[in-house]
Amino acid sequence: MPLDMELEAVLRPPALEMKPYPPKVITLANGKKMVVREAKREEVPTLLEAVHPTLFIPRDFYDIVGARLYAELLAWYRYRVRNEYCLVGQIDGYLVGIVNGRMVDEKVGMSYHTLAIDRGLRIGAHLFAAKMEHHIEYLGQSEVLIVAESPIGFRRWMIEYGLEPTEIQHELGGPDSYRLTREMYFDSKPRLVVGDRPAPRDLLDYALENVFVADEETINVKIAGLKGR
Amino acid sequence: MMSINIVAYKCKKCGRVHFPFHDRCLACKSREFEEIAPKGNAKLLTYTTIFNLPWGFDQRFLIIGIAEFENGVKAMGQVDAQSVEGLKLGMKVRPNWASVRQQHGEDIYGLKFEPIE
Amino acid sequence: MRDVAIIGVGMIPFGRRDEDSLMDLLAYASLKALDDAGLGDKSVNAVYVGNMGGGIIQHQTAIASSLVDRLSLLPAAAETVENGPASGGSAVKNGLLAVASGYYDYVLVVGGEKMREVTGWKATDFVSTMTHPEVEYPYGVTLPGMAGMFTRLYMEKYGVTREHLTAVAIKNQDMGALNPYAHVEMSISREGILDSPHSVVNNPPVADPLHLYDACPVSDGAAAVILCPLEIAKKTGKPPVLIAGFGQATDTHTLQERDDPTDLKAVSLAAKQAFEMAKLKPADIHVAELHDAFTILEIAESEHVGFFKKGEGAIAALAGKTKLGGQIPINVSGGLKARGHPVGATGVAQVVEITFQLRHELPKNRQVKGAENGLTVNFGGFGNNVLAFVLRRVQQ
Repeated sequence: MPLDMELEAVLRPPALEMKPYPPKVITLANGKKMVVREAKREEVPTLLEAVHPTLFIPRDFYDIVGARLYAELLAWYRYRVRNEYCLVGQIDGYLVGIVNGRMVDEKVGMSYHTLAIDRGLRIGAHLFAAKMEHHIEYLGQSEVLIVAESPIGFRRWMIEYGLEPTEIQHELGGPDSYRLTREMYFDSKPRLVVGDRPAPRDLLDYALENVFVADEETINVKIAGLKGR
Repeated sequence: MMSINIVAYKCKKCGRVHFPFHDRCLACKSREFEEIAPKGNAKLLTYTTIFNLPWGFDQRFLIIGIAEFENGVKAMGQVDAQSVEGLKLGMKVRPNWASVRQQHGEDIYGLKFEPIE
Repeated sequence: MRDVAIIGVGMIPFGRRDEDSLMDLLAYASLKALDDAGLGDKSVNAVYVGNMGGGIIQHQTAIASSLVDRLSLLPAAAETVENGPASGGSAVKNGLLAVASGYYDYVLVVGGEKMREVTGWKATDFVSTMTHPEVEYPYGVTLPGMAGMFTRLYMEKYGVTREHLTAVAIKNQDMGALNPYAHVEMSISREGILDSPHSVVNNPPVADPLHLYDACPVSDGAAAVILCPLEIAKKTGKPPVLIAGFGQATDTHTLQERDDPTDLKAVSLAAKQAFEMAKLKPADIHVAELHDAFTILEIAESEHVGFFKKGEGAIAALAGKTKLGGQIPINVSGGLKARGHPVGATGVAQVVEITFQLRHELPKNRQVKGAENGLTVNFGGFGNNVLAFVLRRVQQ
């Protein structure tokens, strides 16, 4: 099928230039090192594989977060959303968390989703912090709009960061957005944002060359198993 | 400013000060008490910042402490501080009576200790 | 008074058991204990259920009556024992006294709790209902908050540091990782929770100076034991474990009314009574399950029961004296810290673990070699209602 590039140009939104997120390495509670880096668009099919099992896990609203993240990543891959980015966390190559968002314009960021595939290590907290770091420090934005889809998310993001409520409809279509400003970000940064830069070359190279997705049963057990915290 | 709405109980027989109320003295079992009001400023005996607050509190943290008034009444209260950085065991605090939480849309009043050193 | 022995134990893995109701948890643990005791389709004379939160969390009362019906133990006598986080220990005590008195021969004691049915902050509120309703609860104080205030004083008085507390956390999570019943099966590293600057996120304060990894998780779980007179127990297949000593003591409801809030009088008294009844000394104990809802409590209790002098428990923990293979192995199960703390189950789970130890039936990496005597401490409120049991292996 010959692609009608003229029509495609209409469907495919123009994108803003986005500064890269410099990778970092975080030492977790169990001593393992998590590489946090920006995912490339070409990696989306692998990321979808990691997200897929969560579509069927109702616990803690994983299904909602998973299904929406799946669609958002696919939209990015097929050029149906503009200015989207995605950060991933990897331990020994394994994908343990995925977060994404987009630039609404130069100044305003829209936080989309935070998915922790491994639990009990505060991976969600670390990756959400990395996402805020990206918007404020690297994309140079003045504010980020955020909503929570699970009670855990609400408690964590809204209360931990002291976000302020707005009357701005969030793009996810649910409640009005909460806002993180530059000032709030830098106030909470010392207790919420950590990581070593530059990321040690060997750890980063390994993460780039070996992107593993745990098998479905492992992901299920980690998220919804008996030992889930 | 609102007055401290606390009644403590001094045993008429042995003088032990109780707060809260006990039907019999913790020291001598006597049932006769003189009602006393906590007096003066207080000394902060211990404190902590609670981060995982129970249902009913929306803030990120709450500082709680136990303090001893000049007449020996010891009581728990919230500590009016932004962090524990400036707090010390044994420091002087001024007791205030203020809203400590809301229940069913109503303010609940209690002790709030204000560091004064 | 008759000597009372444990002839059967049962426990189900602790954790987040979304699929099971509170009644399921109690029933599963009870059936395992009945089978372990070889009672199979036989009945018991009485049932004591340790549970703290059924009325609040599940909105269900008279749980013991429901359980005997479900287990087809009718017309056994049955009651629920509520004594805060010491409900499990109190249920064991009730069973013990019932058999010792000669009134009942076979008693099932089961403790269970389902806490993950509600959000964390509702669970926190539920546990906080044991604080004083007028002079503590309204301020928003929680049990971690009580422990934080206690820890600040203990650190000041005895020089305990975060390094000492971390040693307890690492030991108990290492042991929990080997225990299939444990809620948390993950080792942690000192770097990740203390030394690395990244630990500010990994291990944030929960009630300073206590941090996340100083506290036990919120868990679902249940554990059960079957008690009978020692003379009958001697004729069964498994090495009987004698409840050689028991003690219980209370202290002031509020922390503020204790003359020395670092002195856990109820722990010292309960342990003293248990040792006297068993005619044993702390030095005779080979393995102990202490109530480490917070790391500081393991250290403080190890001193108050007499394993170490005041101020030396922290040093002993850091030196590895409380590890498996050390002078006195404490919480080889992982303790509340790693096994989890379904409040009503804990006191019974401690007795189950010591029974495993004294029967010498654990795998090598968990078994205290040749253990003959064990101690449990179940700490209710913030130390205002404490039970201690001394258990002894009996030769058949």
